[in-house]
Amino acid sequence: MKNAYITIVGNLSIRFDLHESMHIGPVIASANSNKSINFAYATCNSEIILQDMLNSTNFRGTNILVPEELFKRYVFFNETTCLPDFPGLKTLEIDPNNCTPQCLSLMLAVYFKPKIIFLLGYDLDNPIEFTRLKSIIISNPDIRFAYISNPLIKKLDDLDNCFSDTYIKYQEVIDARK
Amino acid sequence: MPENKFYKYSLKLRWPSVCRNRSVEILKERPDLVEQMNRFREKVSNVLKIVCRKSSYVDNTHSMTGTRLWFESGQDVYDFIIRQPEFDWEVVPTLDVLNIVTSQLQTFNIVYTPTGVVVD
Repeated sequence: MKNAYITIVGNLSIRFDLHESMHIGPVIASANSNKSINFAYATCNSEIILQDMLNSTNFRGTNILVPEELFKRYVFFNETTCLPDFPGLKTLEIDPNNCTPQCLSLMLAVYFKPKIIFLLGYDLDNPIEFTRLKSIIISNPDIRFAYISNPLIKKLDDLDNCFSDTYIKYQEVIDARK
Repeated sequence: MPENKFYKYSLKLRWPSVCRNRSVEILKERPDLVEQMNRFREKVSNVLKIVCRKSSYVDNTHSMTGTRLWFESGQDVYDFIIRQPEFDWEVVPTLDVLNIVTSQLQTFNIVYTPTGVVVD
């Protein structure tokens, strides 16, 4: 898959019409925290949540990417796909079986090598998540990361301007693609 | 191969015992074996049409061990594996799954348990 724009919906619930996001490229869901659209991709590393997703009509036709151990148990379900070996997992000390689904979504989006990754509802309150996000941004200089937040939260200042877009610009991208 | 379908799962079904591990030279000399293999493929293809709920097909590529089958649905694969005794067939105990993200074929071992089939 080669897309210029990828949108990630993180662990937080958000008020945004994700149907609009689909105009610019695939939207990746993080587990079942958001069920507003039929996502192109979703990530999950919990068996209970995976079962819920497999039984949810919103994830019908969605490629649900899960770690290998979980994939082996649900291999005969058409929706499940095994997560690829993401480069840099060991360096960043990320365990796909125990990290948050939004981290998996971010790794998946980076794997696709788009021009811009939009982060919607991405939880930055967890310091580990925040540090990981920062490390991933630094290790992928060719990809631009845009944190969609309104208003911008203070914590973004710590990222030394790694994020460059705002909610308004995101809407402009969507409108231009319509 | 039918178009516009994503065949995610693949199994290999062993040839009838007399046809296994025959070289191309031997097969040229033994048209009876070739005919038996063709009949076998035809029979498998017909059975797939009857038992599978979604699309499936028999691969034309020759292999010495068996004939490769492709399935669209995981449920069909599972049913096909557990119904082997019914058709008196022998599936090579590995399952190949095409990863839609990486486009690579991942191979897993099929393990038979008293309650069904799992992969390892």
